[in-house]
Amino acid sequence: MPEPYNPSPVGNPSLLKRRSWLETQVVKFIGRHTPKCPDVVRILSRGMDRKLSLKTRLFLNLHYLICRWCQRYAEQLNYLRRFSRRFPEEISNVDAFTMSPDAKDRVKRRLESGP
Amino acid sequence: MEPASRPAPAEVSAGKVDPYRWVDDHGDCLYRYALARVRTPEVAEDVVQETLLVAVRSQDRFAGRSSERSWLVGSWKNKIVDYYRKLGRETSFTDMEFLKDECSHKFVEQGFWNHDLGPHEWRPEADEVMHKGEFWQTMRDCLSKLPQRVADVFMLREMDDVPSKEICAMLSISESNLWVMLHRARMALRECLEMNWFDKMNPPKGH
Repeated sequence: MPEPYNPSPVGNPSLLKRRSWLETQVVKFIGRHTPKCPDVVRILSRGMDRKLSLKTRLFLNLHYLICRWCQRYAEQLNYLRRFSRRFPEEISNVDAFTMSPDAKDRVKRRLESGP
Repeated sequence: MEPASRPAPAEVSAGKVDPYRWVDDHGDCLYRYALARVRTPEVAEDVVQETLLVAVRSQDRFAGRSSERSWLVGSWKNKIVDYYRKLGRETSFTDMEFLKDECSHKFVEQGFWNHDLGPHEWRPEADEVMHKGEFWQTMRDCLSKLPQRVADVFMLREMDDVPSKEICAMLSISESNLWVMLHRARMALRECLEMNWFDKMNPPKGH
């Protein structure tokens, strides 16, 4: 049996982090009843492609109380999506690659020869 | 610039289009779009050529509803999806190694994040980051570090917004395979951007 969920409160950015006996009990309870972090990140990735069930979303939000890391991961997956949507346009402004004159001539000849 | 050599959209739809001018006006833009996706200049040139060929053939349907540029970019998107469709369906050995990596070193045995290796706070905020040219270059470098096949799947899903089911059909992969690939791509890209951009902008203090 692996030990129950009990990350150290030292340097822990989460909302609940075992600062007292009571808080420790709450953290362990939530840890026992919500998915483990490696599973949470898999679920979050799935959630980018299909809507998660209400129950799953509830469990994720409970988990975030004791795990700021997974909450950040969720936020950052949304960032990645926003970045990706913008990427093709932005990179074509940043990069100065151009087609060689030869290549342009080739394309022009091909267009001339017709479909 | 002589106005005479620049037909208005109405004239374009009337069939007076000048494909030569398209190559000069839009070739480089389409080429840069393609180069960010297919990795070799030769293939990128092919994609540009195919895009313009299709555009010439279907110019009747271009009724000046949108700008010439956005019409050509739309045509380019279809071509890039075609390009992926024509690719083989093999997953290479290096892809398999990449896909097997669960990043388990980031988690302690009991199943939570190692304090030092968990995701850091990203500063500055995404909106601010998107104005910086160097950020997009970092993202391009990170994408090019993904195995080609995994990057293709990620870009089809996240850049072109192709639905999962369509990607599976297009590349003849199972849905569970697709999810694994997307999950690994997201994990690797997230980490790469954090290490090469966000941590450099705002070095993590302690944890």
